[in-house]
Amino acid sequence: MSNKANKTPEQMKYEKLEQKHELKRPVLKNCIRAFWVGGLICTVGQAVTYFYIYFFNFTEQTAGNPTVATMIFISMLLTGFGVYDRLGQFAGAGSAVPVTGFGNAVISAAIEHRTEGFVLGVGGNMFKLAGSVILFGVFSAFVVALIKTLLTIWGVI
Amino acid sequence: MKKRLLIMNAISMILLSGCSGDGKVTDSDLALLKTTHPPAVLIDKNTKENLDLVQSIEYDVEKMKELYDVAVVKSNGDTLVAYKVKHLQRFHMKKIEKKMTKMLEEKYPDENFIVSSDYKIFIEAVELQEKMKDPKFTDKEAKKKLDKIIKLKNEMT
Amino acid sequence: MLKGKQSWVFQNLPVIASAGVSGGPFEANGNLSEDFDVLHDDLWMGEDSYEKAHRVLMEEAGQTALNKANVQKEDVQFYIAGDLINQITPSSLSARTIQIPYFGVFGACSTSMEGLALASFIVNYHGADHVLTGASSHNAAVEKQFRYPTEYGGQKPPTAQWTVTGAGAALVSAKADGPNLPVTTSATIGKVIDMGLTDPFNMGGAMAPAAADTITAHFKDMQLDPSHYDLIVTGDLGRIGQETTYELLQNNGLKIDREKFKDCGLMIYKEDQPVQSGGSGAGCSAAVLYGHLLNQMKQGAYRRILVVATGALLSPLTFQQSESIPCIAHAVSIEMT
Repeated sequence: MSNKANKTPEQMKYEKLEQKHELKRPVLKNCIRAFWVGGLICTVGQAVTYFYIYFFNFTEQTAGNPTVATMIFISMLLTGFGVYDRLGQFAGAGSAVPVTGFGNAVISAAIEHRTEGFVLGVGGNMFKLAGSVILFGVFSAFVVALIKTLLTIWGVI
Repeated sequence: MKKRLLIMNAISMILLSGCSGDGKVTDSDLALLKTTHPPAVLIDKNTKENLDLVQSIEYDVEKMKELYDVAVVKSNGDTLVAYKVKHLQRFHMKKIEKKMTKMLEEKYPDENFIVSSDYKIFIEAVELQEKMKDPKFTDKEAKKKLDKIIKLKNEMT
Repeated sequence: MLKGKQSWVFQNLPVIASAGVSGGPFEANGNLSEDFDVLHDDLWMGEDSYEKAHRVLMEEAGQTALNKANVQKEDVQFYIAGDLINQITPSSLSARTIQIPYFGVFGACSTSMEGLALASFIVNYHGADHVLTGASSHNAAVEKQFRYPTEYGGQKPPTAQWTVTGAGAALVSAKADGPNLPVTTSATIGKVIDMGLTDPFNMGGAMAPAAADTITAHFKDMQLDPSHYDLIVTGDLGRIGQETTYELLQNNGLKIDREKFKDCGLMIYKEDQPVQSGGSGAGCSAAVLYGHLLNQMKQGAYRRILVVATGALLSPLTFQQSESIPCIAHAVSIEMT
């Protein structure tokens, strides 16, 4: 196995040569795009929150859940219509970081594997991208809650 | 293209007319967007003493410079204080709430305060205050509505 | 006949009697849409999975080649094909349909030239009168296997390449009627080169050393000068890989006219199509060579070309286990008689 750590001098030399021709990611442009699109998605989210506060019996506290559900639903529709991947190519992190990116990861995998049947295809592969988000999200929430509980017991906070 | 324009028009018409459904725009409809400064409301024995009390509470709360809009509703049991925090002060929501509770409890030890910075609670409080103007709206109904608001406030996600 | 270290000379001049090329909707909007025999306007191609559509592409290309040469499939002795999907099932399933004794080969995107070199070799030594060879890839099926789901909104870096939906097949015959047919004259089989690159979104950069190695070996074995060829065309190096290869070749002392050094992955799509660094996939070099380039040769634009198809021999498993990307390139020279 040739890992990054033990490259031969020849490989290092080539890497340098190749780097010269490699197209760099336009980081600044990507950041600006991500900022705008991400902000836009969050503005839509805020509008949905206000919608729930106005027309239903939700407070700012409780409106979060239906808002998240609505945003995920919208992103799933956009994924199904084939719009979200184009948005993702344009916006990068801007469309991947909000909760809509999570919805996209789930539904895109489900669409991809529907030809393998509902149980082994859709069911088995639906969370192949989003699964790690769920796993590490739940795990880190557990760790943080544990720390907070312990600190409270010990009277630190 | 023409068809799309037509649809856009239709949607905007629906949206616009939706905002002014019954032709009359009340303060509670706009409570989210503008400063309403609702007068304090009393659902209680209409004594001079009680009136002074709510007005003084409202005055004291409004004095806090982090806030820009306050609604106070007092019934014989509870006093609801709903307020809107200036946007950049929203980072200190918890601190402001603590400060306010402390201030109120020190100054009015006999009252039982329910303090909320939630927009929904504010909207409902303004709505209640508007309904109180209607002579057909009985105190009993008002009390019921206030209880509902308090219940909503205590609801967690 | 072996010449030099790793090259074959086909002294009996196997003829590329005919060729068939099929493609998908994205290729139909591309630069070379006129050179495709069959074009689909839907990625599904009337099938219920992309893998089946993949098989259809290969079948159509093969069948078109047979029809054009007016050869019955019973008269074809061998069928050599490959693609990028697990266990090269689309090729094997197309062999099930076509019912010709079959070699399944895998050389990633270099499969097209691996197949052509082997077919020429067999025909050259009277192992067969006719051999059908081809390679194919299907964008959605390949992306599904190697990358994220197609609808996933991940951002592709500018080094990424777009997998071609297409297939190319050629019928290599000992002799064929009709003038104006291209023949294969020599082939150089490459060795696996690994320069330690690990980014699967930069295949061109990884494959460039393999391409340069094979091209250098070809000229050394054949004792030829690059000016012998009217065109040296690489398979799917893309923008980055091609530039890198060109520099490597110059460092090796080969003077190639920049105008005569092209890449199939850069030829197949238009500038404004969102393919980042160009096209890739086993179908890329097959479709461009068997379609566009052979047509150009027949029209007299080129007399002698060297086709170098490059392949990145990785699997989703190996790059997740942070194994670097081993690459290979095979070259076949095609001439007009």
